[in-house]
Amino acid sequence: MKGLLAIILLFAITSVAQTARAQTSQQRREPEAQETLIRNATIITVSHGTLENSDILLRRGKIAAIGQNLKAGAGARVIDASGKFVMPGIIDCHSHSMLDAINELTLSVTSMARTRDVLNPNDPDLYRELAGGTTTLNLLHGSGNAIGGLNTVVKIKYGRPIEEFIFPGAMPGIKFALGENPKRSNLQIATQPRRYPATRMGVEEVIREAFTRARDYKAEWDEYHAAQKRGDKNLIPPRKNLQLEPLVEVLEGKRYVHSHCYRADEILMLIGIANDFGFKIRTFQHALEGYKVAKEIAQHGAGASIFADFWGYKMEAYDAIPYNAAVMTRAGVNVSLNSDSDERARRLNIEAAKMIKFGDMTEEQALKMITMNPAWQLGIQDRVGSLDVGKDADVVIWNGHPLSVYSRVDTTFIDGEIFFDREKDLAGRAGILRERAQLEQAEPNRPPAQGGTSPATPRGRRPAYLDDDDVWDGGNNQR
Amino acid sequence: MRNRLLLTASALAIFAALVSQIGPISRAQSSGIDTYAITNARIFPVSGPVIEKGTVVIRRGLIAAVGSQVVAPADARVIDGTGLSVYPGVIDANTTLGISQPPAAPAILVTRATTTPPVGPTPAPSPILASAAFYSAAHPGFQPEALAVDSIQPGGTAIEAARSAGITAALAVPREGILAGQSAFINLAGETSQQMIVRSPVALHVGFTPLRGGGYPGSLMGVFSALRQMLLDAGRLREANQIYARSPRGSRRPEQDKSLVALFPVLARELPVVMQANSEREIRRALDLAEEFKLRVIISGGADSWKVTDRLGDVPVLLSLNFPKRTTAQMAEADPDPLRVLRERVEAPRTAGRLSAARVRFAFQSGAMTNIADYLANAAKTIQNGLSRDEALRALTINAAEILGVSDRLGSIEVGKIANLTVTRGDLFDRNARITHVFIDGEPVDLKPAAPDAPGAGRATGTWTLNVNLGESDQSVTLAMQQEGETVRGSIQGAFGSAQIANASINTAGELRFTVPVTVGGQTTEATFSGTITGNTLRGTAQTVGGSPGTFTGTRAGANPAATPAAIPAATPPATPPMSGSLSGVWTLSLAVGANMVSGTLTLAQQSATLSGTLQSPFGTTELTNGTMGANGFSFTTSAEVSGRVVEMTITGTVTGNQMSGTINSEIGSTTFTGTKPQGSARAHLSAW
Repeated sequence: MKGLLAIILLFAITSVAQTARAQTSQQRREPEAQETLIRNATIITVSHGTLENSDILLRRGKIAAIGQNLKAGAGARVIDASGKFVMPGIIDCHSHSMLDAINELTLSVTSMARTRDVLNPNDPDLYRELAGGTTTLNLLHGSGNAIGGLNTVVKIKYGRPIEEFIFPGAMPGIKFALGENPKRSNLQIATQPRRYPATRMGVEEVIREAFTRARDYKAEWDEYHAAQKRGDKNLIPPRKNLQLEPLVEVLEGKRYVHSHCYRADEILMLIGIANDFGFKIRTFQHALEGYKVAKEIAQHGAGASIFADFWGYKMEAYDAIPYNAAVMTRAGVNVSLNSDSDERARRLNIEAAKMIKFGDMTEEQALKMITMNPAWQLGIQDRVGSLDVGKDADVVIWNGHPLSVYSRVDTTFIDGEIFFDREKDLAGRAGILRERAQLEQAEPNRPPAQGGTSPATPRGRRPAYLDDDDVWDGGNNQR
Repeated sequence: MRNRLLLTASALAIFAALVSQIGPISRAQSSGIDTYAITNARIFPVSGPVIEKGTVVIRRGLIAAVGSQVVAPADARVIDGTGLSVYPGVIDANTTLGISQPPAAPAILVTRATTTPPVGPTPAPSPILASAAFYSAAHPGFQPEALAVDSIQPGGTAIEAARSAGITAALAVPREGILAGQSAFINLAGETSQQMIVRSPVALHVGFTPLRGGGYPGSLMGVFSALRQMLLDAGRLREANQIYARSPRGSRRPEQDKSLVALFPVLARELPVVMQANSEREIRRALDLAEEFKLRVIISGGADSWKVTDRLGDVPVLLSLNFPKRTTAQMAEADPDPLRVLRERVEAPRTAGRLSAARVRFAFQSGAMTNIADYLANAAKTIQNGLSRDEALRALTINAAEILGVSDRLGSIEVGKIANLTVTRGDLFDRNARITHVFIDGEPVDLKPAAPDAPGAGRATGTWTLNVNLGESDQSVTLAMQQEGETVRGSIQGAFGSAQIANASINTAGELRFTVPVTVGGQTTEATFSGTITGNTLRGTAQTVGGSPGTFTGTRAGANPAATPAAIPAATPPATPPMSGSLSGVWTLSLAVGANMVSGTLTLAQQSATLSGTLQSPFGTTELTNGTMGANGFSFTTSAEVSGRVVEMTITGTVTGNQMSGTINSEIGSTTFTGTKPQGSARAHLSAW
């Protein structure tokens, strides 16, 4: 009953949020009409165990039933999944896919920057991520600023207009960053003046100063509204400040903070600020030294979204251990494993598998780190993250156990619709090659007879010792 | 003494004022003629049906009469329009024509204040009566108050080239910035900028390119945030001004800001906003922003606009005709172009037809193309790709005028409108059409006679005999060149050895440049040749590395058809078969192999209709077989060893004077070649003929 109420409430919020856009731009698509029945699969629900030789029915974008000998209506798509595994779509709580710009590096507080403004629904990385069983992404601003821009939570509805990607009802969020990246220790640009802050002390001051301004800003508006109520005439409203409004929302608990961090001391520092100003951190991103302050993180009520076993790539990343997830989990922290990389986002199942080796996590605990836990971290736990009746039909069929390196994805469903199908992909490849050959014959695609420019050097792969936060590629795509 | 000086100075000032006053009048009377009539022409009024044979009368800058029954007035200078087509003056709906280059960007101060964006609030004396000065008027990249008219300069090669390409009027847009400023609609003739202006301001222009150099906004995200904040700030100042105007007493006056004030007409939908957007997502973002602030938006660029027609509705598009094409050289180690890029290049000319089918309003713009002569040629490509001729003409004329708010005075041939006309021999969209007259404000403008008749018309193509003097004496060099668009390839042979030319380019004015290695006195060094082609002559300077400047002159062997005025048919040689013996002799061949030009020597002996001889090429020397000569040209076969295997080749071609050209076909591909018979044998050939 309580769950139902929550869903109804969620829908109410969603519809309010959607009205503005839906009225003016494209209407949201009707839920997938076609029913799908996946039969005889091993169903890993994540929330309530693994069911052998069971069926799962997807109807109108939702999981309609899970059990044995389920019946589908006429015209349903029936998939025999004997010997195969079905699990919920993977949720990546730290992604920079499909962003045409990642970092507004010019200022230390860029809370007015919105990832929603620069989404690219045609990014091919999205398709590759679907092929790895990932269905939901938390698209974050980069970590170049103490207070960064606003995030966007999306479902990877590759091939659809951007409006359909936006995860309805996901809690709005904002990126913060601590340590080397915001103080620019390793990202000094020779031709440009040094930006404040240059130390961890300065990072703290920048955040405190911004929240102090946000508090004053809120007071300014409160005073205006009070004057309005008193019936004062000829009031000129205060200036709407796009930089401070998101911070007011943080203070009011209407926006999640996802903070990039590495060291234990800076994690405690941010908890201190949050306590002083009366807000909560939703996730510590990376949190390589989270295991040192696991109790404090748990006490604050924050989650941690981390790498499985990736460290040593810069000064502040030396003290990480692969048992980080296990230690924090045992201390009661909600832990997710993220990619922060278009490449790693294709194989988050392997990151989860590592948790069984490092710290003896159970299969369910490991899988929760890429499904239910990140769902909670993004405030979408009532919609996705497990295979439960009533949840969104974001479902992935694997040809083997998803924690095996030998397994791969056969089919990825989002809201009951197929967005990746391995067989269809293989069948389509010849056609793509044919199209390419044809296009290359066309006049505007032929190389100039003489005097052409030399082709661009292929973009380098990320060096293994750097995370995406450290890759400098000219400013616009810096992560 | 002092008084006299003062007197002289003020007299001068008055005189100067007088001169500037009468300037426009003297211009109109400079030729003494202000009435023209183009008679017997095919007239495309655009506003009505085509007049197959009629007269357009121009008087004092305006169209005085048009129709099939119109008689040329007695005082008119009459242009016999037989064989000519008259169109409304072609418009380029988005250019930087006439806009001078901006001064270097001001240095950006980065200080402690960087935790606050430059758009941040200034300390307010009272929370409610906060200051309105949120945005410095000098903030780089955001200058909506900048007016194109303030930086328009008349004349210049870019305007001349545009006119020679048939363009009579254009939207002149400030060059740089996110809020770049307000555009002006200008005629491309006039001695002062004021004479050129047809309407100003036309629109505010938005580009979404982040600032370089460290200032906010430095990313696309920041661009949107900054635009949003500025529009909000402008809206608030407007509201504050209204509140203050109602009751100034008891309130602090809102602080004014010229950048924000310049946005008032935009927010009031009086001034449209032209947003630069090409890809589907760029267009959607622009439309989202316009929707958020209820702006009257026009999309400029619009490459992917055909994918967004449902969303565009009645939003007009200034569609760029600067079609993308591959510019990178063939290189084995290069990554292939992404499929998306390959598709976009092929789709580009189809966009106009698709917009038309979806009833989206659009006009053409040149989109900063490097060779403005491509403007009409690319418009013709849209016709080959699904757009009707009628719609293409409208996109060049009345549609542009309507979208840019000047259709009451321009864009069609109607009595009382500004007499901007583009006159061609042949249909405007025909490859072989030639622009014969361009009228702007009722005055004919000089067209550059050397302008290529069509893009790709190779005015450099051919074999040139050069006399090069690098300081000591004249040396003879044979230069074989082939031109495609703006690129030229070729090779030299002669006193300085044989080599490929490199870095070659030619512009619409016929200015040619290339570098080539030359061997002088056993030393090989690089020489830079730069010169000008005028008809069949070429002259200029040659400079070797470390050497003193030299000169060269050259003539083209035979006539270049592209450079020959179409109006003189006598230049075309008769198509009768040459007499026996005319092919005999030694020919220097130049053929394209991949990206390279290769030289060869063809020794021919003609016995009535039979040809025999040898072909000497980098593939060796081979005997000719099956050689024949007929009324339509010659053909022969030969074989050559290419990469270790023997390849049969069929060569066909035609001869004009001492020039030959043709095709080589083989199982491994086909290529074209040109050839020339050196002067001596050519003379012999002429006397035989």
